[in-house]
Amino acid sequence: MGFFFQELVNGITTGALYSLVALGFSMVYGVLKLLNFAHGDLYMVGAFIGYFVIQWFGGPSALTIPVPLLLVIMFVLAAVVVGGLGVAIERFAYRPLRNAPRIAPLITAIGVSFFLENAALLLFGAQFRIYNTPDFISFSSGIQIGSVSIDAVQIMVLVLGIALMIGLRQLVSRTKLGKQMRAVAADREAAEMMGINVDWTIAATFFLGSALAGVAGVMAGLLFNQVTNTIGFIAGLKAFTAAVVGGIGSIPGAMLGGLLIGVAESFITGYISSTYTNLLVFALLIVVMLVRPTGLLGQPQLQKV
Amino acid sequence: MSTEPQPPGTAGPQVGVDEWVARQAHRREYLPSWLGGAQRLLERIGWWPRLAIAGLAGALLPVLGLGGFQLQVGIDSLVLVLLALGLNVVVGWTGLLDLGYIAFFGFGAYGFALLSSNQLGSHGIHLPAYLSLPIVMAGTAIVGLLVGLPSRRLIGDYLAIVTLFFGEAFVEFTNNVAPSKLGGPNGIVGIDTINAFGHQITTNEGYFYLLLVIVVLTMAVLRRLEGSRTGRGWRAVREDPLAAASMTIPVDRVKLMAFASGAMIAGLAGSIFAAQQISVFPPDFDTPYLILVYAGLVLGGAGSIAGSVTGMLVVMVIYDGVLRSPTDAGYIFYGLILLTLVAKLRPWRRLGIVLAATAVLGFAAHAIAGALSASAVAGGPQSTGWIADALRDWVIVPANPQTPGNYGFVLLVCLLIALVQLTDRWRTILLVPTIYLASFVWETRLIAEPSVTRQLMIGAILIVMMNARPQGLLGARRVEALT
Amino acid sequence: MSAGPERQGDSGNPAVAAGPGAAGPPGAPVLNLDHLSLWFGGLRALSELDLQVDDREIVSVIGPNGAGKSTIFNVITGVYQPTSGDVRFAGQSIAGLRPHVITRRGIARTFQSLRLFLNMSVIENVMAATYGGTKATPAESILRLPRARREEREVRALAEDVLSFFGQRLAGYRWDQPAYSLSYANRRRLEIARALATRPRLLLLDEPAAGMNPAETHEITELIGRLRADRNVAIMVIEHDMHVIAGCSDRVIALDHGVKIAEGGFDDVAGHPAVIEAYMGHDPEALAEGG
Repeated sequence: MGFFFQELVNGITTGALYSLVALGFSMVYGVLKLLNFAHGDLYMVGAFIGYFVIQWFGGPSALTIPVPLLLVIMFVLAAVVVGGLGVAIERFAYRPLRNAPRIAPLITAIGVSFFLENAALLLFGAQFRIYNTPDFISFSSGIQIGSVSIDAVQIMVLVLGIALMIGLRQLVSRTKLGKQMRAVAADREAAEMMGINVDWTIAATFFLGSALAGVAGVMAGLLFNQVTNTIGFIAGLKAFTAAVVGGIGSIPGAMLGGLLIGVAESFITGYISSTYTNLLVFALLIVVMLVRPTGLLGQPQLQKV
Repeated sequence: MSTEPQPPGTAGPQVGVDEWVARQAHRREYLPSWLGGAQRLLERIGWWPRLAIAGLAGALLPVLGLGGFQLQVGIDSLVLVLLALGLNVVVGWTGLLDLGYIAFFGFGAYGFALLSSNQLGSHGIHLPAYLSLPIVMAGTAIVGLLVGLPSRRLIGDYLAIVTLFFGEAFVEFTNNVAPSKLGGPNGIVGIDTINAFGHQITTNEGYFYLLLVIVVLTMAVLRRLEGSRTGRGWRAVREDPLAAASMTIPVDRVKLMAFASGAMIAGLAGSIFAAQQISVFPPDFDTPYLILVYAGLVLGGAGSIAGSVTGMLVVMVIYDGVLRSPTDAGYIFYGLILLTLVAKLRPWRRLGIVLAATAVLGFAAHAIAGALSASAVAGGPQSTGWIADALRDWVIVPANPQTPGNYGFVLLVCLLIALVQLTDRWRTILLVPTIYLASFVWETRLIAEPSVTRQLMIGAILIVMMNARPQGLLGARRVEALT
Repeated sequence: MSAGPERQGDSGNPAVAAGPGAAGPPGAPVLNLDHLSLWFGGLRALSELDLQVDDREIVSVIGPNGAGKSTIFNVITGVYQPTSGDVRFAGQSIAGLRPHVITRRGIARTFQSLRLFLNMSVIENVMAATYGGTKATPAESILRLPRARREEREVRALAEDVLSFFGQRLAGYRWDQPAYSLSYANRRRLEIARALATRPRLLLLDEPAAGMNPAETHEITELIGRLRADRNVAIMVIEHDMHVIAGCSDRVIALDHGVKIAEGGFDDVAGHPAVIEAYMGHDPEALAEGG
């Protein structure tokens, strides 16, 4: 029984990670109706940034600054840089195709994703970069509930993830920017006619979504310890799954979807075998898409004839 | 372009007004300047004669000296051309974004492998090719139907996701499931070669000609389909599925037929691939190959048979040329830059100024850097051949090129993004340092890692083509209704 | 549905005859809507609608925006399924059938916002609509077997015939041009031509004169009359332009909020108080007096 709950906790933690990535992905889809295939690769860039910050400050076993400060710098830098990268990609690759048929930005996104992966390969090489988290965050510090242990990194991921999600929810529903985002997502032309600066809103959405992905990347580095240029691809796929299962364009949907995928993955790895994990997650997506294409919390799109 | 509406009964179209305008619009469809002239000339020849000429040219290649390694490249190219042709049916004609297309290729390859090797049963099934090929093609077509079933309810983006996942699931499947039957990560080896009309095809030449014949036949078949009821049905479904349905077209059935046809072609390609390689491994059918096929289709022009073939061949020349030798890679890189400049920079005077300024900048920078620090220019250009010799005193290559090259790469991407945003005079001015920086990055980093560089080029092709010329080199410009 | 010469229409052209299903005696009902209702969630789009169109009749449907006119077309052609009630074509219920099946039975439509196959040529647009009337398989097309070649010839002949109905507007040199190169008025004509290629018995025209100037409108009005005469079709027309309605209708039906509010000849319906109210709104004084 303890095993069950341990896997559950692990699953929720990874789920929080997937949710963050799925959130950014869903936000971007909401305003642009674009499946940003490069989103997972932004997560990868964030993970690399976190790694290099650690190296810059002395390396995992010889840090020159206190750990909390290190973490703050890692997260903030990843958020800002990856956010900026997202804005640049939007400006350069997607904006010219705003009014093109959907196939065009989709293929461009694939190109951007491929380019990012290989740029990382060129710049950083193929070998895995190791965070060595236990060297600076002791795994023994954590909490123990019965036979279930939740270590410090997991707690941090959970807390930060939930805080970010709540923060984002508030931003979208309470602030002016959030209202603009929702308006652009509903009807871009009408929003423009109502005086909303659509370009700016879309850029802001990209910044936020990409920043979330960057933060998730750092978390992934801390949790999974290894970073390489291909982690973005699989993570991106899982984020798609999460966003689509939950209902693309829906923020609570992305959160729910991420959680489901994380927990499902955890249980499959724990109870069946890790070789089948990806396969079963993909199969899960295909089934959900066939049964309920708009996802669990999504809304069907109507077409005026 | 519209005629003044005239009361019925008066004189009809005014030659010189309607027809001339229509012809002008038609002219703009072609590639700019002399390339367009060449296109028009080719069009006068007629499609079937052109096919014959292309086929003959291909047949002469091995005779004229394509040998050894290059022949293998030729074979790989033809396999990919076949895939591009099949993908064109699904994406180009019917407008279904199938991101798992490579899985049909894999299915065909694995299917053929299982039927033609020791893998199944005690001694394996060793079906002769004239049996296994049709079986595999039919089987792949059925798989295509199955994958296409979601297309009835899913449109556009959703279909793309589901097919992408199917493609990924295929790789995971062949990697992990039933390793004793499917070989797991070690794949299947020891596949029979193809026996065609009594000849056992064992040489690369043989496979090259076999593939050439298949490609030509496939192009002929597709051409017939294009102008037929089926082809019109496919294209109507791409244009407007609802209107198509209202015009008697059974949209779901038409989509399924597209999936099945595309899959069947991919299955055929996979079978020949498996026979020629004598082995199949899961990574052969992973996403990078899918992206390669898409790059070929996008570059050449989705929706056009000739475009699919041409685009794929050009992509393969780049993809493989970069890998072959630093000299060849240099030709491709600098050739592409010069080509873009020549095509885009007008008037000629501007082009001359930019080239001259870049040269001057380079020599000056090199001299200054050399004077400041010897190690800054100690490394020579990492490419070889006469280009490298010419550039030795022009491009700065430090003793340890890696780190400066990396920074240069990032800076180059930023500059390119900036270039796109600027216009006119500032763009021309910024072009000069950008070209120099590009050469720097090439000589320090890109040439040293050709396998990564060629992937970068593929990604760049997709991005640039979609933004600059979405209809590809030979495709027709499309007009989309605003929804 | 063969293109054989056994059915003769008034036009005398054997390739283009009356639509599928034997043409009934003149004046027999070709379309019946029985108590047709359509609800979108809580929104009532059509309510208990009873409507009939006879063979070779021209019926116009008018009403303010949002009255449900296009919705009727969408229900008839199978884009929407009715919530309750029935749609009968030539006596047979077609409610619940898929759009392409309904069109093959003999109902064709044009769209209010044009839905041409823009990147296909003019003649390909028309030829595409003959899909349901032909049977050649891909294999037959590839091998140019006799049936495929014959059908290709017939389809081409049918398309040329249909296009020539529009005279010089869609003349020969235009046939190979992409549809997106056509002017707006020509696009509307092409849309009608494409619908005609399905050899319908009932043609639904959704605002065929939208966006046209008076000369073009006049042409369209005449065209509708000619369509009925030459092609033996019943026609339902949705229009806002009263000149068109007055110029070609046998019967006019007025709709408001999904309910039929008047039916009859043009003058009767145009002068009907309920119709005037629907278009012009209530008289405020009458309202204040409690009327």
